[in-house]
Amino acid sequence: MNEQLKYLHEALKGESGIKYQLHLHRWQTDFLRFYQSQTNYNISKDSITLSGSLYKDKKPYSFSIDSPDKAKIDTALKTALAMIDHMPEDPDFVDLEDDLSLAEPKDIPDNISGIPLGKKTEILTRLAKLADEHDFELYGTFICNLQSYHMINSNKLDKSGTQSPIYLEVKAVHRLSQVTVLETFGGEDFGYFDEENFAANLLDKIKAAKNPVVDVEPGEYEVILAPRCVAEFTQYLAYGMSAFSLDRNSSFFEGKVDTRVFPEIFSITDDPEDPELIHSDYGDGGHIYRPLKLIENGYFRAFMCGSYFHHKLGLPKNGNQGSCLSISPGSERLDTMISKVKKGLYISSLHYMNFINPKETSLTGLTRDGTFLIEDGKITKVVNNLRFTEKISRIFENIVDLEDSATSIPFSDNYADFSVRAIKAPHALIARFYISSSTRTI
Amino acid sequence: MEHKIKQIISKLDSPQISFADVRITFTDYESITFMNGNLRGYDSSKASPAIGIRVLIDGCFGFAGSKDLSDASIDKLIARAKSNATHGAKFQKEKLSFPALPATIGEYIHQPEIDPFQMSLEEKLDYFKKLAELIKPQAKIVNSHVAAEFERQEKYYANSEGSYSHTLVYNTLPLMGVVAADAGVIQSRTWPGHMSAGRAGFELFYRQQFMENTERIIKEATDLLSAPTITEEKADIIIGGGHLALQLHESIGHATEADRIFGQEISYAGKTFVKPSMLGSFKYGSDILNVYSDSTDPRGLGYHPLDDEGVPGKRVDIIKDGILVDQQTSRHIAHKLGLEPSSNMKASFADDIPLVRMSNLCIAPGLGSLKDLIADTEHGYLLDFTKTWSIDDNRNNFQFTTEIGYKIQDGKITSIVKEPTYYGITPEFWNACDRICGEEEWAYHSTFHCGKGEPGQVMRLSHGVAPARFKNINVSVKI
Repeated sequence: MNEQLKYLHEALKGESGIKYQLHLHRWQTDFLRFYQSQTNYNISKDSITLSGSLYKDKKPYSFSIDSPDKAKIDTALKTALAMIDHMPEDPDFVDLEDDLSLAEPKDIPDNISGIPLGKKTEILTRLAKLADEHDFELYGTFICNLQSYHMINSNKLDKSGTQSPIYLEVKAVHRLSQVTVLETFGGEDFGYFDEENFAANLLDKIKAAKNPVVDVEPGEYEVILAPRCVAEFTQYLAYGMSAFSLDRNSSFFEGKVDTRVFPEIFSITDDPEDPELIHSDYGDGGHIYRPLKLIENGYFRAFMCGSYFHHKLGLPKNGNQGSCLSISPGSERLDTMISKVKKGLYISSLHYMNFINPKETSLTGLTRDGTFLIEDGKITKVVNNLRFTEKISRIFENIVDLEDSATSIPFSDNYADFSVRAIKAPHALIARFYISSSTRTI
Repeated sequence: MEHKIKQIISKLDSPQISFADVRITFTDYESITFMNGNLRGYDSSKASPAIGIRVLIDGCFGFAGSKDLSDASIDKLIARAKSNATHGAKFQKEKLSFPALPATIGEYIHQPEIDPFQMSLEEKLDYFKKLAELIKPQAKIVNSHVAAEFERQEKYYANSEGSYSHTLVYNTLPLMGVVAADAGVIQSRTWPGHMSAGRAGFELFYRQQFMENTERIIKEATDLLSAPTITEEKADIIIGGGHLALQLHESIGHATEADRIFGQEISYAGKTFVKPSMLGSFKYGSDILNVYSDSTDPRGLGYHPLDDEGVPGKRVDIIKDGILVDQQTSRHIAHKLGLEPSSNMKASFADDIPLVRMSNLCIAPGLGSLKDLIADTEHGYLLDFTKTWSIDDNRNNFQFTTEIGYKIQDGKITSIVKEPTYYGITPEFWNACDRICGEEEWAYHSTFHCGKGEPGQVMRLSHGVAPARFKNINVSVKI
């Protein structure tokens, strides 16, 4: 156990009537950002943070210490113990996590040292050469993180783990038209990275992006959503599957457990055991993370719920957090799905979505990084970016087909330590998708 | 700390390094959240350290940052920054140009009226408890929150050109909100809205009149449950200051960050429709539109004596009489565009790399009060309190929804509408601006949460605006 965590733990053991949860988090990143097929900047960052959440009866107090040492811990703890009696109560707090189950040990590689900067630039140099032949330049990021955590609580919970996610995002942008296409890789095992396949996929997209650029009018379209889009809509939908949203009266799924909400072919599982995703051993409060069926053959099955809301709302506790979402594939080949569309759109990626009303799942956002016109079953032209104003529930109610395989799509969480997660999704054919305005620029 | 940072700079004195800078920050932070009348969360951290070292070698920047300020850590960071620059230079077609600047020394110590870190926790909690009690669930109100974030940041900056600055600032982010529900429908109202932060201490709660507005948000959230939506295709809209600050932020602020012209943000936040050829001729807005970036005004969160690459704070016109005349730039990008650097390179914390960021981006005031402007509007809507925002990755096609709209008929507010939504294309929209209120309505609206860059940074910044009117705007989005 880390010396500082142990020191704080020992100090708290002597305090009667205090419940506590302690968390030590180490984080490192090596981060290459590139533009115009060259380095923008290289960053190395690291941090160690020790945080504590204390409860005396129902009175809460939390603190965090960056680069902790004994003197900082003494000061923070002294303040916490002096203040906690003066805090108002949180009447909804009952207890901290008491699930002591441990995950199977895993060998997690250190991808920071495993994929050094020289290796990254070597891969990018090859891809840049390929793109250059078609008058495209590369923009994007190549990131490796190494993060470990250790959490302890007064219910004898003692759990630790490591993650080392990789995130490679390559956008190829045409020098003149600015048409952009995107290829990504994410996960923890670089063995799954097939450079030849990655390059071939990028090249296919580059070729499609050389078609003429057109505008389309607002209105309802039949669309093929790329896995990235299905994954992103699913992430937003998953907000309503959280006990937090239910508690805030903003869940679409309120009163819908075991109710049919989507077509039978649509299933979503929060699956930390999928080796192509970024694994997660423990969820909310340290509860062991197990696969959880959220949507099963169109039926909503369960809210994701930790200890706090389990006690407050009486929901079954599972600790799931939607970190490992996986949408089950269907039975159609992608080319068959495209061939069924007489006039419609292929949407590669989404941008700047925001809920208008989360309870209704209404939101607005835009297409990005490759929107294409489908005519008579074939992708024929590039379309300028489009704005949609839709309800996610309506989009998924209108699923006609799902692709026969699912792809792991990495997403970055950019508002705290740079974290990476992945979602697995297939292409989806949607019968009706509402485009509310055209952007007239790529 | 001045001695320490200058010592680090001296370690970077080498023929291999053509420029270097170092930042050190210490940040105090406290957050308090009440939900439904009860304390839900309290969090604090004291003097969190951070350090960042940036070096320019062979025309490429390398950076390393940490929260560990020990000598061993600093030596490691220097080695990593140099290694990152050296390796990065191998994947580079064009060496980065970085003209020298004269050394500048700066110091600024801000003192809030009520220091939230000196005020007793009991006193703060007592105030929030009272506020939370007033808006706790009642009648159709099913959820409520009161939240506060307090930040005190001390920063040291030094570079290899001899520039040095030391600053200490306090920032506060206050917010409260309620959710009303009935028959499966929910509506929400917040106070004072989306851009509620300020360069201030606890006095911001008094200045923004939280206690005085609890009844208003409860009533408005409840009334919105049965309010109609806008039925017209197009309408004249007056945008209140809080929401106009976000409209400015998204469709002018980010669009005129010049790093986007060169695609440096394509992988995350996006690019811009602005091209270098537009400078000096592009009609961005109507003749009454004047927009400037002003890092010399200490009332805003964007104030600094020096930016994070040693450029002294300055006021720069971005749009003059409706014409795009300048950009927000770094030293490198300004040189590429043939401009003077605008003092807009900023990093959120010392262990973040500086990026082109808004500081205090403002619309110059026009004339008259909001009351006069409403009276001058025959038919339209006053929109305020941001609910939803979205803009494309060229900063061209935007759509916003506010929490509430006030219908104006014959110069008077007559009723409310729910989820008013408008959309437009950036230059068309700003060219439709026909009135901007005067000094008496002009104020700073600020945020803690402007996201940009990878690894992600959230910047504290401000927008000075007065309410303004826009003619014939598309409000036909149906949800």
